[in-house]
Amino acid sequence: MTPAAPNDYVLGLALLTMGLPLLAFFLVFFLTRRSVGLSCFISLACSAVPLLCAWSLLLGHWRMPVPLLWEVVWMSSGGATATFGFLLDPLSLLMLTIVTSISFLVQVYSLGYMAGDPGKGKYYAFLSLFAWSMISLVVASGLLQLYIFWELVGLSSYLLIGFWHHKFSASEAGKKAFVMTRLGDLGFFLGIIVILLHLGDLSILGLNQNAALKLGPGLLTASALLIFCGVVGKSAQFPLLTWLPDAMEGPTPVSALLHSATMVAAGVYLVSRIFPFYQASPEALAVVLAIGAVTMLLSSTMAMVARDIKQVWAYSTVSQLGFMLMGLGAGGYFAGVFHLTTHAAFKALLFLCSGVFIHHFGTNDFFVMSRSGARGLKAPMICLSVAGAALSGVWPLAGFFSKESVMGVLAGLSNPLWLVVGLLGAAMTAYYTFRLLFVMWRPCESAEDPLHGGGHGEHAAWAYWVMVLPLIALAVFTVFLGWGGRGLEAFLRWHQEGVAEAHHGWLVWASVLVVASGVGLAWLEFGRAGAAQAGFLSHLPALERLFARRWYLDDLYRLLLDYVVYGFFSRLFTINDRRVVDGGIDGFCRGTAGAGWLLSFLQSGLLQFNLFSMVLVIALVGLYFLLV
Amino acid sequence: MNSLNTYLFMALLLFCIGLLGLLKRRSLIGMLISVELMLNAAGLNFMAFNRFLAPDPAVGQVMVLFIMGIAAAEAAIALSLILALFRKIRSVNVEQARQLKG
Repeated sequence: MTPAAPNDYVLGLALLTMGLPLLAFFLVFFLTRRSVGLSCFISLACSAVPLLCAWSLLLGHWRMPVPLLWEVVWMSSGGATATFGFLLDPLSLLMLTIVTSISFLVQVYSLGYMAGDPGKGKYYAFLSLFAWSMISLVVASGLLQLYIFWELVGLSSYLLIGFWHHKFSASEAGKKAFVMTRLGDLGFFLGIIVILLHLGDLSILGLNQNAALKLGPGLLTASALLIFCGVVGKSAQFPLLTWLPDAMEGPTPVSALLHSATMVAAGVYLVSRIFPFYQASPEALAVVLAIGAVTMLLSSTMAMVARDIKQVWAYSTVSQLGFMLMGLGAGGYFAGVFHLTTHAAFKALLFLCSGVFIHHFGTNDFFVMSRSGARGLKAPMICLSVAGAALSGVWPLAGFFSKESVMGVLAGLSNPLWLVVGLLGAAMTAYYTFRLLFVMWRPCESAEDPLHGGGHGEHAAWAYWVMVLPLIALAVFTVFLGWGGRGLEAFLRWHQEGVAEAHHGWLVWASVLVVASGVGLAWLEFGRAGAAQAGFLSHLPALERLFARRWYLDDLYRLLLDYVVYGFFSRLFTINDRRVVDGGIDGFCRGTAGAGWLLSFLQSGLLQFNLFSMVLVIALVGLYFLLV
Repeated sequence: MNSLNTYLFMALLLFCIGLLGLLKRRSLIGMLISVELMLNAAGLNFMAFNRFLAPDPAVGQVMVLFIMGIAAAEAAIALSLILALFRKIRSVNVEQARQLKG
């Protein structure tokens, strides 16, 4: 399948989409940061135009015959060429639309959420920087370009998580996110080098078409796993998952944009981007499947005990990303991407709804929110319920369909264990989501007095409605996106005519049953009249502590840091510094001084001694020429 | 007797005497005299080569005249330096002039 060159119209639209957010960043950051209104306007305009461009590109290329490729050579050295450009195929068009849509809605929402914040101009500059990096990542035509923007996304995420840097925990969380994702990116970069050395071609099309033929199976698996390291870091998968819950220190719209819908989805996107490459190596796919499964189970258990509304959604994001990777690892390209799409809509909605409550009540604890009268905010409450139901997989919302297609792929595997894990995860998801929803719906009349105020004080009505409008737009998507599954499948599977993922009739009932049991358990414990609002886990304090402490993963990292990094490597480096580097320089200096002291004996000050040495040397040289 | 080698041998002898004197004498005046000896050894060499080997007799003589001129200039400069040194340390002994000792 050879790519076609885009015509001028498409080229213009794509370059506009890629260029405007960068322009907005420079304008806002260097010129208009001080005047908040102008900054917001520039940033919003430079986010609305790409949104329109992306939608028109998507609709204009519905059922496109071949991918569109446009590249310029950035630099070439020897046989290797690094190109910059864009590759528009159904996957990147879909992702481009998701990214620009969520980014625009979040920018509108932030108008209300960040109202009155002194750093609002800077905040919008960073949002634009993020949008630019993410858009360029999505349309990147080669792995090197993708990697560059991958790191830029990491940078802007660091800036946004630590936006309230005067808060110690926020700056720590930004640092943690940066370091932990960087750890994974190291593997990604090594993978790129391996591919460059052995394949000599980093373009995504070339990778997907030729890698399996040109690379040996061992090398293929190795490079696929190295690239997957980057995915593990960016998408917060099993060993590196703890940075994401901490990243909730950032402003809530940032969490919605980065840590649910777009940035963390970049990892899943990367796997689906080079999916044929992964498919060529069954071992790598098995690892993807296993990591996804472990992550999904671990983070679901963590979400079951969290009291912080954003933490619940953070854990659920991690677990849903794991679920997408399970779908991809099981070979379900469409299933994974479909779940990515629907998840972007309902998870952004969940975060933005939570943001309204957080903004209004000034707390993150949903038990406190509920007691303070969260039910009074009708529109956000309805949206939250819709999105929560979609997350749990309730028919007929978007999540139901996408989960169903992932489950279908898992059921197609020979080992039934994966399906059981998937169903278990779905049950836990339904449980923790409805635990939160029931608590919000039914405030517990406990001894503590309802809390009022806090937060950002009295709010203007316009701020509230600016925040609610994006919610409604996202809710519409959440409700109706699921029905577009068939069309989306035909769009994404363009080059594999007639390959449909198997459907199992009984599976629908099984997953409905599983979700219903999760919801039922949550209702028994939190929802019914007179419920104690204490989960069954409170009877198992050891387990509850384990979940609340994130399976002691953070403590493990602390130990590793203290003993391995600080205790071993730092000490070695200190010794190296003192003995080898310092000692080497000291020795060199002493040697020079000593040699000078020795040579100073030649300078006796006696004229004839110097003369004698001269004559001696000349005589020796003469002797040498005489003899040789 | 009247051959090139005799003159060259004489010149070598003269040069070695001059060198020995230069290295051995501690008096600056003695050293200056030794240098003059060495210069004259070189001049003798020129004349010998000129007499026995060169077709044009004028070349070597010009050289020797130059050497004489240079020797005269050198003597003037060296003597004035010695005079200056003597005014400073009241001696013409090189062993007294050791301020450059390392």
